[in-house]
Amino acid sequence: MTAKVKVTNLVKTFGNNEVLKGINLEVQNNEVVVVIGPSGSGKSTLLRTLNKLEAPTSGDIIIDGMNIADPKTDINKVRENIGMVFQHFNLFNNLSVSENIMLAPVELKKEDKQAAAEHAKRLLKTVGLESKFDATVQSLSGGQQQRVAIARALAMDPDVMLFDEPTSALDPEMVGDVLAVMKNLAKQGMTMIVVTHEMGFAKEVADRVVFVDDGNIQEQGTPDEMFNHPKNPRLQDFLDKVLNV
Amino acid sequence: MKRKFASLFAGFVMLAAMVFALSAGITPAKAETTYQIGTDVTFPPFEFANKHDKYVGIDIELLKAIAKDQGFKVNIKPTSFNGAVQAVQSGQLDGMIAGMSITKEREATFDFSKPYFTSGVVMAVTPNSKTTSLKDLRGKKVAVKTGTSGADYAKSIQKKYGFHIVTFDESNDMYQDVITGNSAACFEDSPVMRYAVRQGTKLKIVTKPVENGPYGFAVKKGHNQKLLRMFNKGLADMKANGEYARITRKYLGAKGSSDTSSDRTFWGLIKQNRSALLGGFEETVWLTIVAIFFATVFGVIVGLLGVVPNKFFNGLSTTLIYIFRGLPLLVLALFIYTGIPSLTNQKIPAFVAGTITLMFNEGAYIAAFVKGGINAVNIGQMEAARSLGLPFGKAMRRVILPQGIRIMIPSFINQFIITLKDTSILSIIGILELTQTGKIIIARNLEGFKVWTIIAVIYLVVITLLTWLSNWVQRRVRL
Repeated sequence: MTAKVKVTNLVKTFGNNEVLKGINLEVQNNEVVVVIGPSGSGKSTLLRTLNKLEAPTSGDIIIDGMNIADPKTDINKVRENIGMVFQHFNLFNNLSVSENIMLAPVELKKEDKQAAAEHAKRLLKTVGLESKFDATVQSLSGGQQQRVAIARALAMDPDVMLFDEPTSALDPEMVGDVLAVMKNLAKQGMTMIVVTHEMGFAKEVADRVVFVDDGNIQEQGTPDEMFNHPKNPRLQDFLDKVLNV
Repeated sequence: MKRKFASLFAGFVMLAAMVFALSAGITPAKAETTYQIGTDVTFPPFEFANKHDKYVGIDIELLKAIAKDQGFKVNIKPTSFNGAVQAVQSGQLDGMIAGMSITKEREATFDFSKPYFTSGVVMAVTPNSKTTSLKDLRGKKVAVKTGTSGADYAKSIQKKYGFHIVTFDESNDMYQDVITGNSAACFEDSPVMRYAVRQGTKLKIVTKPVENGPYGFAVKKGHNQKLLRMFNKGLADMKANGEYARITRKYLGAKGSSDTSSDRTFWGLIKQNRSALLGGFEETVWLTIVAIFFATVFGVIVGLLGVVPNKFFNGLSTTLIYIFRGLPLLVLALFIYTGIPSLTNQKIPAFVAGTITLMFNEGAYIAAFVKGGINAVNIGQMEAARSLGLPFGKAMRRVILPQGIRIMIPSFINQFIITLKDTSILSIIGILELTQTGKIIIARNLEGFKVWTIIAVIYLVVITLLTWLSNWVQRRVRL
């Protein structure tokens, strides 16, 4: 079985700052990988290189057999199969909820409006927001916006979903709704790579937890191995800080 | 993706081509025998617009009579004395007749006809001034008009009498400077000064005319020799058949045409100059509309070039904005109107030169805020759109621009109003818009204050209308 995502020797520098120092990572089909690590460790940058929002400095990133580090690869085609959810939702402020969801399918898959609207309604139902079909983005709460953002990413029927700290900008009472949607998605077998500080989510949902610090993967394993039997002193230190507040 | 930017660039080139095509459209190929002749806007009795807005004066009538006699046609363009000099030198005009003294200096770059009029410079002061001779000028200011023999004369005796020279572009401004007491005296050709006094200018002539170079009709050195020969032959004919004497007597005789009797109230001035003001108003509005259109197209394209992910286009955009925002509008107008033709040997009609000037200048400002407006849209919007697989262009069009435009609208309205006002600067290249119309009316009746008040009110009315229109549009596009 070939990996869905295969990262080899990935290096990313910003000026003189080497943020990723040679990452190797494989993600299998239907696997849920949760990436944890302290701020500034490079975990968000890692996620953003996976759909080339950040171009890798060197190394290879192969997704579904296509190397997106290769300039000849049509990155737009690859992105159609990778959904991404951002910390700050980034819903299109000039469009309504339904238009946000329908934009990409209509523009890129040439879906007709009727079918796209039906699809959008179904997606809104799965995130519990069917009543917000015609709402403006500005009228939604943060948690609602994030759930619409997930629906928008799902509208292209991606086979990998990237989550970049999806609950970090939310009020605490909104976090549960968003995590519930993500758990549901994991249950349906979506391949997911999630950067998060929600250790509870990692314990419960992750097939594998990856600990990134100082631009490298320091340790990875099942939630049980990582949370109950951490070997790397940095991971022990990190868990100590985040779990014992 | 590269190809898209290339086509964007091609669009820009096409736009430039369109502007030049427009220029070709405005100047249809004329018959060989029509000559473009420049003259001054303000040099009565040699050239000035009468109250029917027709150009008259000794120069105008003499040239027309000679043209008729010799069988060629003339299209007389009142630019300004300086403007005409530059336009003839750059080939924009074939010749000029503007009470131009034949001097050694000018003969280096012009070929002159035989002299057609001999004048002399006089000094004028306010009626109760204590300055009555050149000796009284020590330490004082003297007003002159750019490029006239009065100015040359003043310069030649400046050291000897120790005065300072203040230079003006319009005769009326020069007179006003003396009347208000800023300058102690002005120097001007005797017939011009006499005419102005007769028109009610509150000045008196205190010196005898000092012989200066006689007036000649001028062409660019080595060019249009046939025109020059015809002028000389025609001038001889006019002198022989008495026409020359008739024309000069008409303007210099004791009871020459005078305008002082007419109604000088605001309402009277508006009524007398109704058609001239309407014409100027129309030209201003037309120029504004055309300029706004091209400046917007140019500005949006250059602004977009500034945000596409391509270093070359980003640099091009920054450079264009830097150059055209950095040049004063006046300099740009003169450069395009008189500079480009001398490089390319291709005439540009003033209206087209004016439109191009505004397109570049206002367009640079538009480009700057288009760029700024797009950059003001949160980067996350672009990232989200791209992460869905939308190509840059589609993301721009569907997500970024709709939000950016809303940010830009107040700047657009502002820029349109500025464009309208900036059209006034194009009077320098002789476009008969509202400001130039004002100058011409004042040249005739010397009612500077009242006429400028009327012109100012017209501008305010147009700007008010434009603001209303803009606000209406703004309400329509709001979310």
